[in-house]
Amino acid sequence: MNKHNHNSNGYWNPYVGGIVLGTMLFLTFAIASQGFGASGTFSRMTAQFLVDSDKSWLSNAYIASYFRHGDNALLNWTVIETFGILIGGFVSALLAGRFVFKADKAPSYPLSKRFFWAFIGGMIVAVATRLARGCTSGQGLDGMATFSVGAWIFMFTTFASALILSPLFKRQWNDEGEKS
Amino acid sequence: MIDTLILPLFKNGFLSPEANMFFALIMGIVFGFVLERTGFTRAQHIADAFYFRNLAVPKIMGSTVVVASTWMIIFSWFGWIDLNLLFTPSTYIWPYVVGGLLFGAGMVIAGYCPGTAVAGLGTGKSDALVFLLGVFAGMFLYFILYPFIATFASSTNLGVVKLHDLFGGNEYTSYLLTVALESGIILFMMLLQKLTRKGTK
Repeated sequence: MNKHNHNSNGYWNPYVGGIVLGTMLFLTFAIASQGFGASGTFSRMTAQFLVDSDKSWLSNAYIASYFRHGDNALLNWTVIETFGILIGGFVSALLAGRFVFKADKAPSYPLSKRFFWAFIGGMIVAVATRLARGCTSGQGLDGMATFSVGAWIFMFTTFASALILSPLFKRQWNDEGEKS
Repeated sequence: MIDTLILPLFKNGFLSPEANMFFALIMGIVFGFVLERTGFTRAQHIADAFYFRNLAVPKIMGSTVVVASTWMIIFSWFGWIDLNLLFTPSTYIWPYVVGGLLFGAGMVIAGYCPGTAVAGLGTGKSDALVFLLGVFAGMFLYFILYPFIATFASSTNLGVVKLHDLFGGNEYTSYLLTVALESGIILFMMLLQKLTRKGTK
């Protein structure tokens, strides 16, 4: 990437990012027969943790669905890919000099409140991904790229809901955007 | 006669499960790398989209979908890929509507979605870690609730439905609709940004 393709904030130009990410998404489909994923990993990890600590959790139909083909729910394409995402984010941040241990929020916004909302948001997102069979990766990218009607239902309702609720959570963020 | 090599490799038996798992790790690393390079590892950067301060997130998502489906249509045209073998989730109308409404709420509250939080954790974001702890808690909550909502969760299942199943035509119709919708949404958001703010500098 040359200087021309960078935004003033140091990140790639969005359309350059889209060309790289879109080509990668196609390659993933062309090779693995499926696209990117993330939320399933957390569902599987939670299920594995529960079953490992007490076998009676297998009586839960949702948890049991992960153990139909064996006793390891984590031997799964998406789970392994998710660990890759963690490594990739780390390597990129390190090389770009952007690895910092801190929370992303407006400087004046209290950290405890930011953590509270991050946790609550995470809980809601998790429940949502189970109903929607995926998240912004599995539905948003994979579903849309394979022309799925369901992906459009999911993304339209996601954006509508986020836009309607956005004024309530504005104070967490820097008003000038991330560049300031 | 030799079997013709047709994509996708895994479903057509040209790739062992072990090799596919190794590929998962490689592709995950590249995905995480690109998420960081495009700013997706920052909650502020993602939240900016909902306030029309910076439209990088919808621009990247839209162009990713357009580019990926363009490759698919080209490869399918030449008969190099069987699009029917690619995994597409089934469409469950009402669970997706409720799921989407909840997902949007969670995302605007937290500023992350699962994939971006994983990459964000890799870059040291402490709020991404807290978000992911919340995700584990939410999964646990869903398992507990599942016996009560299982009927709803699997209701209105239409199976795999593509845009051309709904609007008629074939894959090319779907492709053109996808490109039109994605560019339309990006242009519409850019217009809204112009009207609500002075626009990105």
